Amino acid sequence: MRIMLACCLGMSTSMLVSKMEEVAKQQGKTDYKIWAADQTQIEAELGNFDVLLLGPQVRHILKKVSKIVDGKAPVDVINPVAYGRCDGAAVLKQAEELLKNKK
Amino acid sequence: MAELSGKFQDSLMVIAEKVDENKYLNSIKDSFTVFMPFVIVGSFATLFNSIICSPQTGLAKWIPALSKLSVAFTAMNFATLGIMSIPVIFLIAMNLARKNKVPEYIAGIVAVAAYCSVIPEVVTVTVNSATGSAAGIPAPALGAQGLFVGMLLTVVVVEFFTKLTRIEAIKITMPPSVPAGISTSFNTLIPILITLVSVSVFGALFKLGTGTYLNEFVYKVMQAPLEAVFQSPAGIIAIVVFAQLFWFLGIHGGLVISPIRNPLMAAAIAANIAAVSAGQQATQPVTYGFWMNFIVPGGAGMIFSLIIAILLCSKREDYRMIAKVGLGPSVFGISEPVVFGLPLVLNVRFAIPFIFNSAISCAIALFATKIGFMPCNTVDTPFGVPLLIGAFIGHGWQGIIVQIICIAVTILTWIPFVLMTNREIENN
Repeated sequence: MRIMLACCLGMSTSMLVSKMEEVAKQQGKTDYKIWAADQTQIEAELGNFDVLLLGPQVRHILKKVSKIVDGKAPVDVINPVAYGRCDGAAVLKQAEELLKNKK
Repeated sequence: MAELSGKFQDSLMVIAEKVDENKYLNSIKDSFTVFMPFVIVGSFATLFNSIICSPQTGLAKWIPALSKLSVAFTAMNFATLGIMSIPVIFLIAMNLARKNKVPEYIAGIVAVAAYCSVIPEVVTVTVNSATGSAAGIPAPALGAQGLFVGMLLTVVVVEFFTKLTRIEAIKITMPPSVPAGISTSFNTLIPILITLVSVSVFGALFKLGTGTYLNEFVYKVMQAPLEAVFQSPAGIIAIVVFAQLFWFLGIHGGLVISPIRNPLMAAAIAANIAAVSAGQQATQPVTYGFWMNFIVPGGAGMIFSLIIAILLCSKREDYRMIAKVGLGPSVFGISEPVVFGLPLVLNVRFAIPFIFNSAISCAIALFATKIGFMPCNTVDTPFGVPLLIGAFIGHGWQGIIVQIICIAVTILTWIPFVLMTNREIENN
């Protein structure tokens, strides 16, 4: 499963990425690829991710991003509290559920 | 009241969405995201000049030969900041062309060519008190003073070019035996031709009719007034509060205002560097480095100060926990753990300091500049440099002192609000 996180410059989401990677490793999910990018990279990364999660501080771009991704992958805004607490398990679960609901 | 604030939130959200969806503002914003590192690198050339080549402040004091290197760093500064209009125009045109689904590189070159066709290609030179003209492009046309005219012209040119490529009537249909590449090449040739003829004729007529070049005119009536507002205390404080209102909703305020903020900051640092290299004083306080060091140090809304205030006075365990998690990132300017974890988003208890503390800090730093204590910077600080170090890179030892004052004062303005939340617990 390939999960991309996007925010402004991909700085604060990169903190979350390492937490999520830790959790995925603990759960034995070694085939997970998780990374953070600047929100301008979304179009270029299209096709590289199965799930796209936006930092809550850029949630105003959700509508536009959904249009760009155009149903090719589920897109959602990360739960703000989980984001703030850097809760890797919760965000990983959110990503997995998004993909499951799509299928 | 609740209904009113709900409406207010909705309208801010709509503004944020509209700015982001507007393809012109979006192209400008993305272009400056790409170009910003070059602005910072260009400003570092001045740093090298002063610590290596300057006989007063640099290594050249001891090794005089090093002062000869100064030419190299001046050239590096010219190659980034001095000609910034050209790469910025190219980037905006490419970003916009991608959205319009027309060939990106061609649109980029068309926009640069269009811009070059409306700026002067002669400069006035004075040699031995005799004045004459010589071939050359005046520096303001290539540098930051060309940013706004460049942005406007590029939007018009790319839209015009896009329209032309979609007109079937000017497409040349070749017999099937002609290779496809040939007809594609002709079919971009004609739109390029029409675009450049139109723009250069417009530029020439504008010069004939008004006596000034288009770039000089747009700079005078649009960019210069915007710069003046942006650099004025009232103007920048209003902008900072506006950005913080978005953060209060949990939206990245700096990102929302960046299409207009970043060009003005790039222009400011370029103007400061130009002034100092001409032996004058830098006069533009509000640069990217200033924003990083004195408006959002420790995270937009003075989050580092809040963390200290919580660690000093809060009795709430949940607050102390978030403050500890947020401390490390906050030193690097990342505020999200606290903003979303505490949370500060839509939290009326902390609304007033969260919205106004950055403005207070900004006002302190402007005051320090105004009284001549802190110089306007010529070296920019990128995002992500730790507190104090960033201030030192940008604004020297004076920067460190001012940043400490800014943080100390805003710790004090956070404290009453932190204490109020203690009382809530006691009441429970």
